[in-house]
Amino acid sequence: MNPTETAAAQMVHKGPSHKRIRLITRVCWTSALLVVAVPFVFPFLWMVSSSLKSAAEIFGAPSLIPDRFLWSNFVEVFNYQPFARHYFNSIYISLSVTGLTLIIASLAGYALARMRFAGAGLIMLFLVSGLMVPEEVTIIPNFFLVRWLGLMDTHAPLILLPTFGSHGVMATFLMRQYFVALPKELEEAGTMDGLSRLGVWWKIALPMSRPALGAVAIITFLFSWNLFLEPLVFLSSLEKFTLPLSLANFTDAYGMPLWHLQLAATTLAVVPVLTIYVLAQRQIIESFALSGVKG
Amino acid sequence: MRPTMDTQQATTSDPRLPALEFQNVAKSFGAVNVIRGVDLQVREGEFVVFVGPSGCGKSTLLRMISGLEDVTSGTVSIGERVVNDVPPARRGVAMVFQSYALYPHLTVAQNMGFGLKVRKMPAREIESRVADASATLKLDALLDRFPRELSGGQRQRVAIGRAIVGNPRIFLFDEPLSNLDAELRVHMRAEIAQLHERLGNTMIYVTHDQIEAMTLADRIVVLRDGQIEQVGSPQELYLRPDNLFVAQFIGSPRMNVFDIDKLPPGVAAQLGVPEGAVKVGMRPEDLSIDPGGRGMPAVLRMSEYTGGNSLIHLELDGGAPCLIVHHGQTSPPEGTAVHLTLDKGAVHFFDANDTSIRKG
Ligand SMILES: Nc1ncnc2c1ncn2[C@@H]1O[C@H](COP(=O)(O)OP(=O)(O)O)[C@@H](O)[C@H]1O
Ligand SMILES: [Mg+2]
Repeated sequence: MNPTETAAAQMVHKGPSHKRIRLITRVCWTSALLVVAVPFVFPFLWMVSSSLKSAAEIFGAPSLIPDRFLWSNFVEVFNYQPFARHYFNSIYISLSVTGLTLIIASLAGYALARMRFAGAGLIMLFLVSGLMVPEEVTIIPNFFLVRWLGLMDTHAPLILLPTFGSHGVMATFLMRQYFVALPKELEEAGTMDGLSRLGVWWKIALPMSRPALGAVAIITFLFSWNLFLEPLVFLSSLEKFTLPLSLANFTDAYGMPLWHLQLAATTLAVVPVLTIYVLAQRQIIESFALSGVKG
Repeated sequence: MRPTMDTQQATTSDPRLPALEFQNVAKSFGAVNVIRGVDLQVREGEFVVFVGPSGCGKSTLLRMISGLEDVTSGTVSIGERVVNDVPPARRGVAMVFQSYALYPHLTVAQNMGFGLKVRKMPAREIESRVADASATLKLDALLDRFPRELSGGQRQRVAIGRAIVGNPRIFLFDEPLSNLDAELRVHMRAEIAQLHERLGNTMIYVTHDQIEAMTLADRIVVLRDGQIEQVGSPQELYLRPDNLFVAQFIGSPRMNVFDIDKLPPGVAAQLGVPEGAVKVGMRPEDLSIDPGGRGMPAVLRMSEYTGGNSLIHLELDGGAPCLIVHHGQTSPPEGTAVHLTLDKGAVHFFDANDTSIRKG
């Protein structure tokens, strides 16, 4: 066999074996990822399955498939306490917080990123240092503040505190970082085209910041949706409860959780989060496609 | 409401007034003086190129015309108006940015019409202007695309189109071709020249590329360290540079400069050195190898063949390096001793301050 033929033979061999190695690699990776996914997916499946079981079956039968699908759990959730009202409270509070935070964080973030004014650095430092203070420390002064303002047992602190508190600061900081990295020439082109400062923010900086806005929207909605300590401290009337309080309230006369109701309610509580996530994520992906990775 | 830009176009009444005037303009960023006293007048319809090494203040000067940068002292006037405090959009100028600065979330048509829309021009008028501009720039087929779907040259055209639709009195270009490849750059250069011919507007063009400057400009402004070194037509700058900097900056390959006291013996006498001259400059394209054996003695060190001609690196007797452009397909081998003569062009003399000395 001359050297050329040997090489050719080797190439023929190499083709399929190469492909097989790639296939094996892919199978290995996929199964490894599936294993890693289990701790994340299992609780969710367990929650959904348990929401359809009877209280006794939840800890009795280990199967994920219920013996009998108890759709009535979902009806009872609404009869047990004003759950629909709680649901509505949470939705409107979280949407308000998200909307306000998007507006304020993008405005303040833009100012901190682009405008030169006296004390800008100091304000930034002040804001960021506020991030270091844990919520447990601020809840007591906030309690006195809210009481002094006469806002106890209203939804106002649940909207104002996340918006102007450390979460709002973090959102502002995220937006600032994003704005700083945007090409300045685009905004200058906007100025040349006759836009005011605010016009540049609204018509140029914001449309280009859709990924950041989407991310801030997700984390803000989640933050507000899951807020537990603040409603617990500030709310007392049952009809003003938000979902996290409501969920904790599915208990029997001895304070023991009614698991089947609690899990059915939790399943319902997850729906808006998933919706917001899907919507905001599409914004993020679309705008990445729009700006184009290639220069 | 009529758009501001057009109003200004209409007031272009007195052709004797300069389209643009700098009076003792200075600019500093903090303690750093970036522009240090610039005086300049630009005539209506003129194509003026600011050229100079990177960091000399060309962009800053341009941005002070646009209003994106305010002036520290002095006045900038456009037409009869001092515009120091006039916001950018009211100055009647349009700018083409180096990065094109196209809005990524808008289509080509929306990009071009954006400024008009901000100025509240009726939609129909915007449409017709965008159509005109895109016909001029051969962008008709691309109007519904997004910037990311365009090639570099097409983006460049859109950026120019966006400037055209407002019908500005002055166009400002900041290194508009520097992101294009060499071939496209030559092509777009020609297009910009044609555009100026067709529109007749005043254009101010910034580049660090002296070839771009030479080919496009009616007048070139050579800048160094925030000051004007010389203003003149390409030919004036090439033939009669005011100083050593301009002499070496304009012309490619750059002018050979020798210390007169290091020239080979006898050469200085032949040149007729004027009083006070310390350096002498000769352009590579003006020098040639003399087969008769007269002129400056030199040794050939290296030859670079470029096709139509060769760049020949030599060493004069006394050690000074010298470059000449040699026409023809063959050149003498390395190490050959030759003589150089000045063909046609001028010898440039400079005094101890690097200022040109004009003979006679
Ligand atoms: N916003 C700014 N702040 C501080 N220094 C600046 C700013 N813009 C430009 N400069 C400085 O001014 C000088 C001139 O810049 P520029 O006009 O961009 O030069 P060119 O366009 O000729 O390359 C440079 O030294 C640059 O670092
Ligand atoms: Mg520049």
